[in-house]
Amino acid sequence: MSIFPILWRNVKWRYHNAFTIVITILQPMLWLLLYSAVAGQSMKGVGIENYTAFILPGLIVLVCFSACCSGGIMNYLMKADGSFFRVLIAPVQRSSIVIGQILEAVLCTFIEVVIMFVVSLFFSVKIASGFMGLVLIVFLIFMTAFFISGLAYAISLSLPNEVVYETVMSAIILPVFFLSTALFPVDTLTGGLKIAVNLNPFTHVINALRALILDGNIAQSDIIFVIILLAVLCCISFSWALHSLKKEMNL
Amino acid sequence: MDAIYVENLVKKYQNGMQALNGVSLTVKEGEIFSLLGENGAGKSTLINILTTYLRPTSGTISVFGKDIHNEAAVIRSGIACVAQRTSIDTHLSLTENMMFQSKLYKIPKTEAKDRMEILISCFGLERYLKYPVSSYSGGVKRRLDIALNMMSNPKILFLDEPTVGMDVQSRMAMWEMMKKIRSDFGTTIFLTTHYLEEAESLSDTICIMKDGKEVLQGTPHTLRQYLQQNILKITFADKGAAKIGLKQIAKFFSGRKVVLHEEHLSVCCENSQVDLKQAGHLLFEQNIAFMGIEILQPSLEDVFIRLTSRGVS
Ligand SMILES: Nc1ncnc2c1ncn2[C@@H]1O[C@H](COP(=O)(O)OP(=O)(O)O)[C@@H](O)[C@H]1O
Ligand SMILES: [Mg+2]
Repeated sequence: MSIFPILWRNVKWRYHNAFTIVITILQPMLWLLLYSAVAGQSMKGVGIENYTAFILPGLIVLVCFSACCSGGIMNYLMKADGSFFRVLIAPVQRSSIVIGQILEAVLCTFIEVVIMFVVSLFFSVKIASGFMGLVLIVFLIFMTAFFISGLAYAISLSLPNEVVYETVMSAIILPVFFLSTALFPVDTLTGGLKIAVNLNPFTHVINALRALILDGNIAQSDIIFVIILLAVLCCISFSWALHSLKKEMNL
Repeated sequence: MDAIYVENLVKKYQNGMQALNGVSLTVKEGEIFSLLGENGAGKSTLINILTTYLRPTSGTISVFGKDIHNEAAVIRSGIACVAQRTSIDTHLSLTENMMFQSKLYKIPKTEAKDRMEILISCFGLERYLKYPVSSYSGGVKRRLDIALNMMSNPKILFLDEPTVGMDVQSRMAMWEMMKKIRSDFGTTIFLTTHYLEEAESLSDTICIMKDGKEVLQGTPHTLRQYLQQNILKITFADKGAAKIGLKQIAKFFSGRKVVLHEEHLSVCCENSQVDLKQAGHLLFEQNIAFMGIEILQPSLEDVFIRLTSRGVS
């Protein structure tokens, strides 16, 4: 398996460009701090006791997005000034190349998620579902990050340069974030908006994470549904990433 | 066994551009093979196919007797390629770059370390060890690129225009390096170039390529008649004078290739000193005014003109 050399190369890149961690966590962290301070009070009236705990799942998904998108940028950098093409003619399985790069993005996501959780502790956020809940949360975040970074990998290989890539990614992230239950519960919505929010897979991921953090109990069927949903999405995004990489050699 | 055997290779890019038009060539084990051609001849395309990066449209290719379609994985572990653009990770150190390459080729760590030391001293890279790779000059980066591609001990090393854009001194140093790779490591070297003198002084076999097809393959010795035949260049004051000159010169050197370009003529030489004397003599005798007369080394373009004019296949 040549996953590890690829993973190692990309981790090294991240280490040398550690500011990318700061940049990608900046926005979610600001949301966390601002909303906890400003919106916390007004939300008590709606019946949300700890608004920080309420928005944390949505912001975790946002962190997944921004960390994993920076993983796609790496393709452009390694193509312009790095080992991208050399790796392609090395005796390395194409799937290992993709997985190695995806895992780095997942790793980076986890670093940022841990930072978010630590900061949330100061706002009295507790994981109500205990240790098993924590394990489930980690698993869900892993799959979400895997899905998104596979997507970012594929998209980065289909677009001509970093600028176009950044534009497209931010055009995807914002609607997906706002058309989910990241900031408000779904039962406050009606009609077409409600359908759109329910069609968004991240709504279900956020709901599951929220249930695990806030309520401490989650229906088994709900969690199984989310895991199956994410598994299918991971398969799709990984296949697309692999296909895009193979297409690089099919000029 | 031949290191590389290519027959009737065609490559048509997805956009419809046909870069290779039925190339055939043979590379013997342990030799330095130069693919000589101008920009756009299809050299990089051919290298990309031979290194399993691109898929051919049609044709037969075998590398050490293994078919490139079915056994790409086996071939990959036995080759390495220094691409036209350097492919070094600038965020890794010199040694990390080399170790990364060895990990890709699954070389055991201790073996890789030993090999790295040999290569660093062989390529004179010791004094760059303490600096970051991003600070290296283009020449040093290229040297590192070659050294790290030798980490997997490839049986064939491909180099795509390794000396392009270098000054004369660095180019000579690069030639020495390639000869050393062949003698010290027994590696077969396949390189592309558009410099005639490079192909001539370095290689055991030269293959000249034009418009996606090989024109001629042979040793520098057998190609000498094409590569080393000089050209007589006669410059006139204007186009009119050149036309008059052309008539006389063509008549005198009948059977030779004489070409008129604007206000100068070029004549293919057989013995450049004698030809120079005779041409000068003729022009003075006939009272044809001219500005200058000189002997030129042939350019690749001249070689092509000569090859096509003599109907060599
Ligand atoms: N990826 C590509 N897609 C389409 N055409 C290409 C591609 N790469 C090269 N070509 C074309 O193929 C021809 C041969 O190019 P190349 O192999 O790079 O020549 P050389 O290396 O000898 O300069 C050129 O006309 C070039 O424009
Ligand atoms: Mg080229």
